[in-house]
Amino acid sequence: MSTDTIKINVPVLARVEGEGALELCIEKQQITDLKLRIFEPPRYFEKFLEGRNYYDVPDTVARICGICPVAYQMSAVHAMESIFDISITPWIRDMRRLMYCGEWLQSHSLHIHLLAAPDFLGFSSGIEMAETYGDEVRRGLKLQTLGNDLIAFFGARSVHPVGVRVGGFSKAPDKKQAADLLTRVVEAKQDAIDLIHWLDTLTLPEDNQDFISVALHHDHEYAFNEGRLISDHGLDIEISEFDQHFKEHHVDHSTALYCLLEGKPYLVGPLARINLNQNQLPDAVKTLMENLKTTFPSKNMFHSMIARAIEMYFAILEAEKLLSHYSVPKNAYIEFVPRAGTGFGCTEAPRGFLWHRYDMDDAGCVTKAVIVPPTSQNQSRIEEDLKNSLINFGLHQQKDALQLHAEKVIRNYDPCISCATHFLDLTLIRDGQIRDGMQDEHIQHNLPPADFSSVNLQQTAIIGIGSPHPGDDLGWLAIDSLKQNKHIQKRIKQGLSLHKLDRPGPSLINHLQHYKHVLIIDAIKPGTTDNEHLWLNANQLKSLNSTASSHLLGLAESLQLMHSLQLAHADIDVLGLSTHQPEQLCNLLASCFGY
Amino acid sequence: MSKPSIAVHKFSSCDGCQLALINLGEPLLVLNQLVDIKHFAEAGPLDEDCQVDIAIVEGSISTEHDIQRIKKIRENSSYLMTIGACATSGGIQALRNMANTNQWISDIYANPSVIDSLDNSSAIKDYVKVDLELWGCPINKQQMLSAIRALLFGVMPEQDAEKVCMECKRQQTVCVMVTKNEPCMGPVTRTGCGALCPHAGRDCYGCYGPAENANTHALANRFHGFGLVNEEVARRFLFINSAAEAFHQEGALWKNEFWTAK
Repeated sequence: MSTDTIKINVPVLARVEGEGALELCIEKQQITDLKLRIFEPPRYFEKFLEGRNYYDVPDTVARICGICPVAYQMSAVHAMESIFDISITPWIRDMRRLMYCGEWLQSHSLHIHLLAAPDFLGFSSGIEMAETYGDEVRRGLKLQTLGNDLIAFFGARSVHPVGVRVGGFSKAPDKKQAADLLTRVVEAKQDAIDLIHWLDTLTLPEDNQDFISVALHHDHEYAFNEGRLISDHGLDIEISEFDQHFKEHHVDHSTALYCLLEGKPYLVGPLARINLNQNQLPDAVKTLMENLKTTFPSKNMFHSMIARAIEMYFAILEAEKLLSHYSVPKNAYIEFVPRAGTGFGCTEAPRGFLWHRYDMDDAGCVTKAVIVPPTSQNQSRIEEDLKNSLINFGLHQQKDALQLHAEKVIRNYDPCISCATHFLDLTLIRDGQIRDGMQDEHIQHNLPPADFSSVNLQQTAIIGIGSPHPGDDLGWLAIDSLKQNKHIQKRIKQGLSLHKLDRPGPSLINHLQHYKHVLIIDAIKPGTTDNEHLWLNANQLKSLNSTASSHLLGLAESLQLMHSLQLAHADIDVLGLSTHQPEQLCNLLASCFGY
Repeated sequence: MSKPSIAVHKFSSCDGCQLALINLGEPLLVLNQLVDIKHFAEAGPLDEDCQVDIAIVEGSISTEHDIQRIKKIRENSSYLMTIGACATSGGIQALRNMANTNQWISDIYANPSVIDSLDNSSAIKDYVKVDLELWGCPINKQQMLSAIRALLFGVMPEQDAEKVCMECKRQQTVCVMVTKNEPCMGPVTRTGCGALCPHAGRDCYGCYGPAENANTHALANRFHGFGLVNEEVARRFLFINSAAEAFHQEGALWKNEFWTAK
């Protein structure tokens, strides 16, 4: 077994929301490939929003996710209210918190009972688990139903609720409905306590890992509808500063964008929130937590299930508090006049914080929307966790056991793949990424050192670097395209060499030793605008911190190594290309080379 | 006699219609005793290629891969039932049908060549025969249960395609269009939701799709009379069910500046 290659391919992950798959390859007890593939088709919500009136936005963004529509509506209305300078009343604020409690309750209960717990009790589904653990599953479904009914109190239905609007709610429910709900909420307290104690008795894997927790924080309450973004590694920022610290990027194997904090993976969601904000939980919750086997803060992701149950208890207590002094106000919403501006909204969806940014015009129509959902934030952390966790688990284990363990790890994050798959206009951020990697003065556009008239063509080469991955073969395509060009064909006859190399790494040095002048063509990584190119000389390349080209890390290091070892003396120029339309590559190259 | 079998398949969607099953609460456990749930990825059971009596399909067709999958599902099932706006009309993501999707993809994804995305988001019926459609964004538990119940009895469920207005009248809900000039879609929208929006004091936005004999043009003119500009009138129809024929035609008419063209 030990030297075998194990390939695990889980084409559809069960018990996650949306469509995801896992690809894992273990060779000689090393993980050589690990990808959490998200292939939920792209759904383009940020584009649908452009041109829509503020009035349509809550109903549009709800459709991103059937499981956490309230979170989407809340982040959106907060952002738009900040643009229109609307101050909501304390009643509206309280009732939004109440509605949000409903979403946490239903989503957490759904996850614990139908998605996660079956893993730890040896069942393939919650429905199957119900045959043995009938009372527990029934209790869970009851809590889930209560959560749904709390959402429907204002929203008329729990999936895509209809009562939320910019400025408040369409209508306030009457006191009788509130009183009926309050009775059920009070009864549910014991169910939540029993649930926590039950989960605390389960044997969960011991798997402590080092990770960064990020969540909203509020000075006076357990944060979920507003606050600052904090981490346990010193981050403490306004939500409007989000995109100065967090960056989204696209990887080929996923239709969801990956988000990193200062270049690092991080955790959002119930465990991150409890880790950061547990002191602000009500005393009843804190007292209960003191008597648990499981302690927080925790670095074991398997404790996230218990964190969820604790938050359910919190949500019930909070709902009790808010419902017990329910009154019907004169106005359920604030009147306002829309105006142009940019606004941010950030609230804690059940699976982590959900960040929105809107640019709006004078008429109150969206000109640009950016939505960063929790699952795309957790995606990198999930892959990192999988690597560590599988090694801790033991790569010598049987394939089935490895697969189940990997699935458990993924389910700990309650990934919502429908949410994660969205559409982001990256142009500005991409520019930012490129510029993060190098000093501006190093970028020299349209200064082609590609005039071959003064060089000995026998000692000159153009090398295209690429890999067979779709979209990562620009360097190769460029070589193919150049070979068709009559100017280059003439040079080839005079001795110019053209090569295609597959991720050469240090072996690039061997190739460079044969030449005096080398032009390397490579794809520029996600980040630049379309049909861009960058000319760099070898020194500029060395000063990059490697985020720019898809193979640049290896390239810059190789060149440094070559320089240090004085192995080769070629003049090296690098042409970085970025295009989304390979058919336009020919034109792009023609402009680069001045033909 | 073995239990009838069902499978729940998901295409491009928000998962919200599957929740009509998952949110059933205790009836979900009862349902599990009545039928054999063979495939339902979100809830656990996995057997994508299973032969079943009833295939329940959520989501719209938006990739090449989806087309192959839905054909297989059709072959494997006796009844095929679509649930929700995405599966039945293409859903909110059909808004892309009127846009240049390639431009959108290249605006967002760094390596567009790896993105499998058709130009259109389409209803299931555009590719295979559909036996039963449940409209709504999302559908509700009652629709789901009564449909499955009827099929288990061997009859087709009764389908109500009258307007939301009728439901409002029965509930004695005050009309938001008459009293507040709200551009309510109720007069052309299929009932089934329980007239939730007017009951909550706001306009219906058409999430249950077009009603039978919908006089969309009269309603659009009325909206225009309220002071909505052409583009705003178009957006009322081009929203959750923008690819449903009656809504699409009316919306396209106003989007193309019907009035100035005339």
